[in-house]
Amino acid sequence: MHEMSMALEIGRIAEEKLGERSPQLVTVAVDVGDDAGVEPANLEFCLEAVFAVPPFTGARPAILRCAGDVLRVAYLEVDDGCPDD
Amino acid sequence: MAVRTIEVRERVMARNDALAAQVRARLAEHDIAAFNLVSSPGAGKTMLLERTLAELGEELDIAVITGDVQTQNDADRLAVHTSRLVSAVVTGGACHLDALQIMTALDAIDLDHTRLLFIENVGNLVCPANWDLGEASKVVLFSVTEGEDKPLKYPSMFQRSSQAVMTKTDLLAHVPFDIDLAMKNARHVNPDLEFFQLSGLKGDGMESWFEFLRASVRAAGSVV
Repeated sequence: MHEMSMALEIGRIAEEKLGERSPQLVTVAVDVGDDAGVEPANLEFCLEAVFAVPPFTGARPAILRCAGDVLRVAYLEVDDGCPDD
Repeated sequence: MAVRTIEVRERVMARNDALAAQVRARLAEHDIAAFNLVSSPGAGKTMLLERTLAELGEELDIAVITGDVQTQNDADRLAVHTSRLVSAVVTGGACHLDALQIMTALDAIDLDHTRLLFIENVGNLVCPANWDLGEASKVVLFSVTEGEDKPLKYPSMFQRSSQAVMTKTDLLAHVPFDIDLAMKNARHVNPDLEFFQLSGLKGDGMESWFEFLRASVRAAGSVV
């Protein structure tokens, strides 16, 4: 299933955005269009598998359904270890 | 803990598409026409290529990249029909080829002496639809032993293809397949599809396919 290829690519994008600082990744939100050619439940399953190992351990996927053929990493939520304001 | 949000807004396919653009540019630099053959397993991609290589392999300097989940059986079958390299990509479980695999495979092909490149994708009517490999167009095959409603069931693949090759027409007398209905269904999802009807096994209908390939090579900038 191609969702695993896409999950791996989402992981690569997340890792690239995090950079070398490597804050704790909490959430990876992905926009998935109705016509994106992706089965959202399959993608979520694959992302959970990708996030089960470092450097993503503990992260969870958030699938954001939308219209069209959009398939993109929307945002990351990270815990950078700093205390709350 | 302080959770903060990092906006990303990056297309998941962006990296593959960038690599596909590089493949496309590299092929254009060498005036090579390239087609990505896609279909369900067993629709006749390898048989079509066997016939095509046997007839036009030398005339059009054809190179082939084959993709399979396991084995290089297709590459071995095709190698019988050409002295040129048939490059096998074993995906090791992945259900499609990607642009990086094609970029890598091109390194093993003598591009200066190639005018037509076929990429035989993994047999699958779903996954390869999303992946641009740098081809001029996707060519979707479907055989008369499949249902007429295949285009309706797998619209994305038919929408993203420019040509549809209906294969195994020698079996039309033996199977309840309405070829006009199949074409109507395909046109319903993609009105611009160009059709070919042929039998790779018997050779019926191959000439119009061959003419299409010759014209494509001419259009890519080569002189036939």
